[in-house]
Amino acid sequence: MALFVSGLSHRNAPVELREQLAVDEDKLRELLRDIAAAGVVREVIILSTCNRVEVYAVADVPGEARATTFRRLCRHRGVEPSSVEAALYTYTEGDAVRHAFRVASSLDSMVIGEPQILGQVKDAFALAQSCEAVGPALHSLFTQAFAVAKKVRTETEIARHAVSVSFAAVELAKKIFAGLEGKAVLLVGAGKMSELAARHLVEQGAFPVYVTNRTWARAQEMARTLSGTAVPFDELSTALAAVEIVITSTGAPEPLIGRDMVQRVMHGRRGRPLFFIDIAVPRDVDGAVGSLDDVYCYDIDDLKQVVDANLRERVREAHRAEALIDREVGKFLARQGDVEVIPTIVSLRERLEAIRAGEVKRTLARLPGALPETREAIEALSTAIVNKILHAPITKLRESSRAGSPRSWLDLVHELFGLTRR
Amino acid sequence: MHQTLLTVAIIGYVVATGLALAYLVQREELLHRLASLATLTAWVLHTVALLTLAFNLGRPPLASMPEAVSVAVWVVVVLEMWIERRSGLSVLGAFVLPVAVVFSMQSTPTRSLIGPTLSGAWLWVHIGLALVGIAALVLNFAGAVMYLLQEHQLRTKRPGTFYYSLPALATLDRLTYRTLALGFPFLTTGLILGVLWAGTAWGSVFTFDPLALSSYVAWAVYAATLAGRATGGWHGRRAAYFAIVGFAVLMLTLGAGLFLPGKHGG
Repeated sequence: MALFVSGLSHRNAPVELREQLAVDEDKLRELLRDIAAAGVVREVIILSTCNRVEVYAVADVPGEARATTFRRLCRHRGVEPSSVEAALYTYTEGDAVRHAFRVASSLDSMVIGEPQILGQVKDAFALAQSCEAVGPALHSLFTQAFAVAKKVRTETEIARHAVSVSFAAVELAKKIFAGLEGKAVLLVGAGKMSELAARHLVEQGAFPVYVTNRTWARAQEMARTLSGTAVPFDELSTALAAVEIVITSTGAPEPLIGRDMVQRVMHGRRGRPLFFIDIAVPRDVDGAVGSLDDVYCYDIDDLKQVVDANLRERVREAHRAEALIDREVGKFLARQGDVEVIPTIVSLRERLEAIRAGEVKRTLARLPGALPETREAIEALSTAIVNKILHAPITKLRESSRAGSPRSWLDLVHELFGLTRR
Repeated sequence: MHQTLLTVAIIGYVVATGLALAYLVQREELLHRLASLATLTAWVLHTVALLTLAFNLGRPPLASMPEAVSVAVWVVVVLEMWIERRSGLSVLGAFVLPVAVVFSMQSTPTRSLIGPTLSGAWLWVHIGLALVGIAALVLNFAGAVMYLLQEHQLRTKRPGTFYYSLPALATLDRLTYRTLALGFPFLTTGLILGVLWAGTAWGSVFTFDPLALSSYVAWAVYAATLAGRATGGWHGRRAAYFAIVGFAVLMLTLGAGLFLPGKHGG
């Protein structure tokens, strides 16, 4: 009986192949039943996202199980099995455990640390459970994978820094103002991206929101969607004086906000910083504005630069996460190993205890006049001998399971002590 | 006895500094915990060393510059641990402890008492208050350095180690303001007591003494910064520059006390 995972992902398979093989939920139920009916696997979970299609399974003959599973998968999706075969990877035992942990922790994702994958793995697990395809082995593997993913998220900064332009802007605002509660936002121009950035800011407590636009109706419309206030376009500099964060995204061919305008505005602010997020191309805020004291001005390229730095930061954190996962795989395998040898240890004890009890009974039957102390001494003596004899083999079994190779020792112990397999 | 304890405490501060700097770069929580532990351990040893010294001398260990500097380090570390705990500013140690270590190198009490004129409770109060003020201003300096580093990161728009490990500008500006507001009254009262005491003991308030003169300059710099802050307009980068200038003059003051001949020692 062996655990394996086999599949293809964004790492080695092109999107054309992945989308051909991807399975939606209803089909997945059907497929799981079909695979279970084939009788080659004891347990199976199929994970299908736009970046990966993977089969996690426990089977007596993994090679055969893998081939059958993917033949059925290909038949369901109408894909030629030979085209899939080349892109398939397979991991078994410890490597399969590591792979499951890495996938759930988003270390194998296209954008490292992205949060969706854990939910997708959980869904796949729940779906397989509802099809009664999950047994004890996959159950303990997946519940542990969820715990490891949570640990990776809390103990490393893998998902901490923004990897989208709008979130990067929010993060920068926090590096300037600390908390965003009660910080006023001004939107100059209306666009999808500035709306998104404004929403993120509001989620963090920014308030109130002002919107201005050359077209008054557009300003009002956007103000409504953001529960803000529309401001006439010619009152731009008045509005600047009242806010902390400005998001600009107009289609103006020339900068709307120049150095002189901002300098005048800054005069009355008593050092309250002003943060410009300029996502317009061509830019709405003159580059010279950024050189003023207490003014921070990020254009779209600057924001991308921050995103790139954040991505590098995630890669750095991923190295720490890998080390954490290594440790967790070790722990998981050790526990699994214990689970494997415990039944043998129990039956070994039972066997020797039965022999001991039998022999003691016979001996005592031959000593009818024995004092209670003598009886006790005989009991104690026999128990001590059994424990001494058991000590070495039990220790050896535990050690071998920790070392990951309990099979041959288990067989040996069964053979030597005449235990029967359950 | 106290000498051995003090040496071990200083080694402890050096270790804590190394760990705090490693934490600044690596942002590994374990490093932070170890740094805090090392700081606390060293500080406890330092406390015992100072108590032993005071017991042996039969007076507060404040009568020579090296003794006073050692006490100042002790206060700096208390403030560092307190502010870090209260504000959650986990990288503070990386900026404060190096200063404490540099101070400690000068704090080995090898020199004798300043002079026979030293006595009286008012004198201990003068020295004690000035030291607490100086300690708070060390924190003020650390806050200013952090502010300028983070400001630089945000201006150059190339996020590096400091962008990730340092807190927000607003937080750092508040730290420099509060430490100044805490340290300044102590420094002021300490100086006033010193002036009054000098008037009675040396016969004149205006006796030439390098430490006294230098400390008036430092006081003036801090007074100007505080006034600027209070009336508005002075904050952020400008306030940070002034904090650094003030600290530099303060260092000159201590240097004068340690190395130049004058009424305070040498």
